[in-house]
Amino acid sequence: MTDTDLEIVVEDPTAPEEDSPSLVGTRTVEIVVSIALLLLAVTLGYDNWRTGISWDSTGPEPGYFPFYLSVILAGGSLYGLIAALTSQDRTSDTFVTRAQARRVLAVFVPTLLFCLATQFLGLYVASFLLIAGFMRAIGKIALWKSLLTAFAFTAIMFVTFDVAFDVIMPKGPLEAVLGR
Amino acid sequence: MEAFGLLLHGFAVLLTGKTLVLMMIGLVLGIFVGVLPGLGGPNGVAILLPLTFTMDPTSAIVMLSCIYWGALFGGAITSILFNIPGEAWSVATTFDGYPMAQQGRAAEALTAAFTSSFIGSLVAVLLITFLAPMISSFALRFGPPEFFAVYLLTFCSFVGLGREARHKTVISMSLGLLLAGIGMDTVSGQLRMTFGTAELLRGINFLVAVIGLFGISEILLTMEERLALRGHAAHISLRVVLSVWRDLPRYWVTLLRSSFIGCWLGITPGGAIAASFMGYNLAKRFAKEPESFGKGRIEGVFAPETAAHASGTSALLPMLALGIPGSGTAAILLGGLMVWGLNPGPLLFVEHKDFVWGLIASMYLGNVVGLVLVLTTVPVFASILRVPFAAVAPMIVVSCAIGAYAIQNAMFDIWLMLGFGVVGYVFKKIGIPLAPFTLALVLGNRAEDAFRLSMIGSGGDLKVFWSNGLVGSITTLALLLLFWPLIEKLLARAGRPRRARPAPL
Amino acid sequence: MKAACTAAALLVVSPAAAGWEPTKPVEIVVAAGAGGASDQMARMMQAAIQKNNLMKQPMVVSLKGGASGAEALMYMKSSEGDPNKVLIAYSLIYMLPLSAKIPFDWRELTPVSVIALDQFVLWDNAAGPKTVKEFVQAAKAASAPFKMGGTGSKREDHVLTVFLEQKTGAKFSYLPYKSGGEAATQLVGNHTESNVNNPSENLEVWRAGQVRPLCVFDKERISYTSKVTETQSWHDIPTCKEEGLDIQYLMLRAMFLPGKVTSEQQAFYVELFQKVTQTPEYKDYMEKQALKPVFLSGKDMLKFLEEDGQLNKSLMTEAGFVAK
Repeated sequence: MTDTDLEIVVEDPTAPEEDSPSLVGTRTVEIVVSIALLLLAVTLGYDNWRTGISWDSTGPEPGYFPFYLSVILAGGSLYGLIAALTSQDRTSDTFVTRAQARRVLAVFVPTLLFCLATQFLGLYVASFLLIAGFMRAIGKIALWKSLLTAFAFTAIMFVTFDVAFDVIMPKGPLEAVLGR
Repeated sequence: MEAFGLLLHGFAVLLTGKTLVLMMIGLVLGIFVGVLPGLGGPNGVAILLPLTFTMDPTSAIVMLSCIYWGALFGGAITSILFNIPGEAWSVATTFDGYPMAQQGRAAEALTAAFTSSFIGSLVAVLLITFLAPMISSFALRFGPPEFFAVYLLTFCSFVGLGREARHKTVISMSLGLLLAGIGMDTVSGQLRMTFGTAELLRGINFLVAVIGLFGISEILLTMEERLALRGHAAHISLRVVLSVWRDLPRYWVTLLRSSFIGCWLGITPGGAIAASFMGYNLAKRFAKEPESFGKGRIEGVFAPETAAHASGTSALLPMLALGIPGSGTAAILLGGLMVWGLNPGPLLFVEHKDFVWGLIASMYLGNVVGLVLVLTTVPVFASILRVPFAAVAPMIVVSCAIGAYAIQNAMFDIWLMLGFGVVGYVFKKIGIPLAPFTLALVLGNRAEDAFRLSMIGSGGDLKVFWSNGLVGSITTLALLLLFWPLIEKLLARAGRPRRARPAPL
Repeated sequence: MKAACTAAALLVVSPAAAGWEPTKPVEIVVAAGAGGASDQMARMMQAAIQKNNLMKQPMVVSLKGGASGAEALMYMKSSEGDPNKVLIAYSLIYMLPLSAKIPFDWRELTPVSVIALDQFVLWDNAAGPKTVKEFVQAAKAASAPFKMGGTGSKREDHVLTVFLEQKTGAKFSYLPYKSGGEAATQLVGNHTESNVNNPSENLEVWRAGQVRPLCVFDKERISYTSKVTETQSWHDIPTCKEEGLDIQYLMLRAMFLPGKVTSEQQAFYVELFQKVTQTPEYKDYMEKQALKPVFLSGKDMLKFLEEDGQLNKSLMTEAGFVAK
């Protein structure tokens, strides 16, 4: 694959110093998450209430447990929301700094694109693009090494799953042209 | 000592060149499917099952059970190295195994995992050898209330343990239980929380969620913290192996406890998953400093692995003796037996002695050979960590996607995995624990079904959970565990004046 | 356009046998969990096809038992035009759309063939009542209702239980388990008083003398006369009608392709499964599991499906299991 003596530490040369400014505080994220969970709890709770939440002669109805669980979830997230809102510590901890967020997005965005590509181009093409692109753009690894690694990995996966074990992965136009 | 003679006979059946070769092939294939994402034990065995159709039953089952052993060993590898549990029961292994790998102790963690798998399975095989008939009748005593009591015990061993704020554990567990309920409700045959979509009909697959929560979110975190996967693992591992083994006796309580939990849950088809979580939780609960768990403690690897494999192995017993598969893989093996015209059930031990004892003997041999095989390959696996992160990260993403897709052949699951990846990342950062969530997701449905079946049976009377000695003692034990912190405090208060020991400062 | 395609296809087709053939591994989709009756049958066919070289491509079993089998139905429905997937179906194709409002109709798939009919037998624990009459009396006299184990809710087993109640006047509480195997062991362990399992699901515990068959829900006795236990054969089980309990129910086991496949593709599978029914593996399996061997395809099958679908619908309606 690649030389083993390469330094392994991920170094983004463009990354600012460690004292990069805070992008968003933990308190803010806690508030957002609590609200999201609260909304989820209300939606699921409503659906279960429609399904039936009583305890009839044969024990609880299908919605019984999920309904009360959504009540508990709602309670938990409400508590979290209030705790976060009333927290004394106005200058709360940093959730991510700008530099961190940039690095996280540097993996997240390619992963998102990969999933999209899998949907339309099939898994193997998408995986080739992801590996080659990621190694080249983020890892600054030589282009030929990136392409070769990506191709080798994708080919191995294809042979293992589609050929040897008959586990059929999503395919796209390229495979259709090649007749698989 | 009739069993012993029969076992020797079993070895005689096995020790032919051909069978040994099949065994090696089976083990290598097994490790391979165990490492591959989304394959793991049950799928791997299912895929390889047709290979054995043309063999005679004994060779076939030897090969299959070796694939099974291999997959069991292999499953630990990805959990420890990449935080991607290949199997549900490997989840608990990641809690301490992955931190160990991050600290450069991958070889140690792998050795610990393999060794404890070996010990767990060995205890279970011994149990099968000598107690088979007795135990299979014990398994029959499990009706819905007993099953519920076991699940309750698993949940209770979890609550009140975390360092995290109480309300966060509550959120995590209730969210897991809720998501577990999505889809078809078996007891009423009604759909719930699907909002009319076909994709949600299947429910949320546990493994898809876990791959996202652990695998994908870990990559995000690694990137954020600029953590390097530093490959300290390049030592010749014989030294590491020996040093881990030297320390083994110190953990005998953990190993014994986990083996016991595993065997018990394996034969009372509670399943390996419950066993691994319970093994981990109890090790944590009775440890001197529970806070150090989750930060790379070797006991945190020993406990769940021993329990999972003791249970995975003893699950074969009810499969052979009663025809009830205790685990997914056992279910596939059951299918295999049928193909060869062997009907698992109470008569199998009488009508097909050769086969049964050949299988049991192959468990001993397969386990030993497998251990040697994986231990010698530890450096190979550990050296994966020396590949540049920029190359490993996208490969892990691809592996996760393949794994998520392969489980149900659904594109939707890849998106679900991505979603859970984000959820996992955010939850970890704001301190919502993921372990209760995963436990709830995997056992939630079964616990609810067992509870409701109990209610139907008893006409809605809760006293059914104390209706006989067995269920009563499990339920009571569960409640004891739930309130253990409180009880411990009371005991400490009551015990202090009498004890001469100085109070801890 | 379609006509042109068919014409083109006809030109390529050389006499009779040769025609379309799968070019990829063929998936047998099982609408139940591992180890259940459908899974066992799928594996039998997989083995029969492989051992007798009936097809060049391998066959893989794919378990889609999620949502009580609805997963498999939706999977087949969404695989329109894909000739490499065959569903091994049973009465869930009629019942599930009714009880759980699953948007599915078997007419959206391509029927290939009916390959067997499965029986239902009323079983009780070997220590329990010995005849149907005694069983019914005991059920009526019991203080708490008898527990009846079965697979799934609002399905075959549940329907039979409701009719049993209607005909006898005894009360049962129905316990829906996840599989027939579970229902069998729960009966052995005395957690339920009875079940209405298929023969295959209770075979082993019967042979071990742990359960007793009371009667079979069919017009006639099962035809297999070779001894299964030391003293009894399948044929020795009386029909429920003989015992004064007039309930009959048989369940189809049939193969379906997804919708919109070509008639050549359909023809290939009809022939394939016809060949399967002639293999020793199939015959052996039928006898061991006490299935009724039948083979229906084409118009016969459609007619059968229509009638069977109607019957199931009326049973479900009468039992009150149709969701509003």
